[in-house]
Amino acid sequence: MNSAVIWYAGQATGIVTLVLFSAVMVLGISVRRQLRIPGMPRLAAVALHRSISLLAVAFLAVHILTAVVDSYVDISPLAAVVPFSSSYEPLWVGLGAVALDLILAVVITSLLRARLGRRTWRAVHWLAYACWPVAVLHGITMGSGTGHPMSGWPLWLTIGCIAVVMGAVAWRVAEERRALTPADILATAPAHRVSQGPAVPARQYANATYEKESR
Amino acid sequence: MNTTAVLPLRVRSLATSAATRLLPPEPLDYAAHRALYGDLPPVDGERLIAGVEYSGLSGQGGAAFPAHRKMTAVREAARRAGRRPVVVANGSEGEPASAKDKALLWLAPHLVLDGVALAAAAVGADRAFLAVEAGHGLGRYVTEVGRQRPSAAVPVTIVEVPPRFLSGQESALVSFLNGGPAVPRFQARPVFERGVGGGPTLVQNVETLAHLALIARHGPAWYRSVAGTTLFTVRYADGAPTVVEAAPGTSLEHLTGAGATAGQAVLVGGYHGTWLPLASASAAGSGARMYGVNAVTPDTGISAETLGVPLGAGLLALLPHDRCGLVETASILRYLALESAGQCGPCLNGLPRMAAAFSELAHPTDRSDMNQIRADLSRWAGLITARGACRHPDGSARLARSALITFAAEADAHAHGHCSAPNRPPMLPTAPATP
Repeated sequence: MNSAVIWYAGQATGIVTLVLFSAVMVLGISVRRQLRIPGMPRLAAVALHRSISLLAVAFLAVHILTAVVDSYVDISPLAAVVPFSSSYEPLWVGLGAVALDLILAVVITSLLRARLGRRTWRAVHWLAYACWPVAVLHGITMGSGTGHPMSGWPLWLTIGCIAVVMGAVAWRVAEERRALTPADILATAPAHRVSQGPAVPARQYANATYEKESR
Repeated sequence: MNTTAVLPLRVRSLATSAATRLLPPEPLDYAAHRALYGDLPPVDGERLIAGVEYSGLSGQGGAAFPAHRKMTAVREAARRAGRRPVVVANGSEGEPASAKDKALLWLAPHLVLDGVALAAAAVGADRAFLAVEAGHGLGRYVTEVGRQRPSAAVPVTIVEVPPRFLSGQESALVSFLNGGPAVPRFQARPVFERGVGGGPTLVQNVETLAHLALIARHGPAWYRSVAGTTLFTVRYADGAPTVVEAAPGTSLEHLTGAGATAGQAVLVGGYHGTWLPLASASAAGSGARMYGVNAVTPDTGISAETLGVPLGAGLLALLPHDRCGLVETASILRYLALESAGQCGPCLNGLPRMAAAFSELAHPTDRSDMNQIRADLSRWAGLITARGACRHPDGSARLARSALITFAAEADAHAHGHCSAPNRPPMLPTAPATP
């Protein structure tokens, strides 16, 4: 296969993987008790989180395959998995290898979730928060495909992805801070079952003097 | 024995024999306990469970689950897991209106401790806990009383549990004993498999264990013959609760004594219970029906079968004619909403809205659409039932539904600006929810 085709394939799958994993992050962040992406049922968010992450893994596989196959620079199959063992750009390729290892841990534990138990799965799943920034850094440092840092529209796309994921994290933290209690809901529960029609001056109701939900 | 008075309680026992009654007139120390009830006969675990099955003993904490099935489940789970189970005696009543477990622990603590020892022998446990409600000095009292006993084969740790409504729920209690908050937990595996310390755990109400102590002495056939009595908490207008010991099926009149006939309704079971209309003596025998439900009359035998509703933890609260059932229910629902752990959607979102709506039903304004409120309440009661990790929403919905039926006439009156109890605060206690 033509080396240029492989190069383009590697670049394209890298960018698509970035976008897909950013979407996976946002969906995963939104799956909390009191959070919801507007207009999307929680069930759909969970299902999308799962399907998109598997799709992203497929793109990631192609991305790694092209990097290994591309004969222009020498990245061995081992270097794709073992961090910082590459002869070409050991640090930046190594970040990609770290991200790959973390993703493999997250994906494999998710597939084995029923056997591992919730706690173990959950503990490993938190690694996603470490994986994504490492992967983004790998993209920024190597993203041009020419040995220079990323520039142009891919850079802006990356910045956009960072902004969206950071926004989702901030949203989650803010919502968790003001988790509602039953008392909050009771305090704000409106006397909303008010009949239609003109308001008449309130008649002196027998009980009106005591305990009117003062909270 | 000179102990500070734990509880200002009225107690009445209708048991025929002193040696089989759960509530002696005075608190019994160990010597008096042995003199009255006699020593525990030696028991074999499996034979004891078989005896419990024959006796028909069921849990007295509210759910009325057959005691022998729980014991068998724990014993089997322990055998499978290859570890010794734990016994938890549940005396954390939590419910502000109920007092029968506290009265039992105060008057006959050794009967409960006998029951703990028996339950431990039945399931093969090597550790036991006795959970009591904090705030009454019961923890210290029972610990002192326990020292009178010869060192037991199975050590019993006395634990004071926060006096919250949900503290006594099985998984909440286990969570608390494991060092967590006393709130119900979603159980991937049930408490009888994975409870205290991750081991198989038998949680039994203290009254159930006291029954066990009597069954071991007098035999399962004695209990089966309905000679065994059970504990009720009876509440009259405004007064302190009276804990009554009576055989199941005792008539309401006999059980509550004078004044029972003077009410309009009775709350059966507790704050997760059912309001039933109360008909006068003249209606008795004619199969009194009100609003489509069977009315309780003074000669109605008090048992789950005759009433057709669960007896729960044995509360019977009589609502006098000059009180408003909607005001009482609104107050209870508000309390139940605030006592919710706020963990599951149906409870967190449903109970406060139902409480607010019920409050509007009890205290409507001119603009309140009473029919809409009643329709909403019925719909929400259906929506929240059977959807929580525990039964808190289910019980609250049961209370709201029964109030809508039993106090339908009162609700109609409210729609026209009349109330049976204008300007009176609710009579049934709702302890403030402290954070």
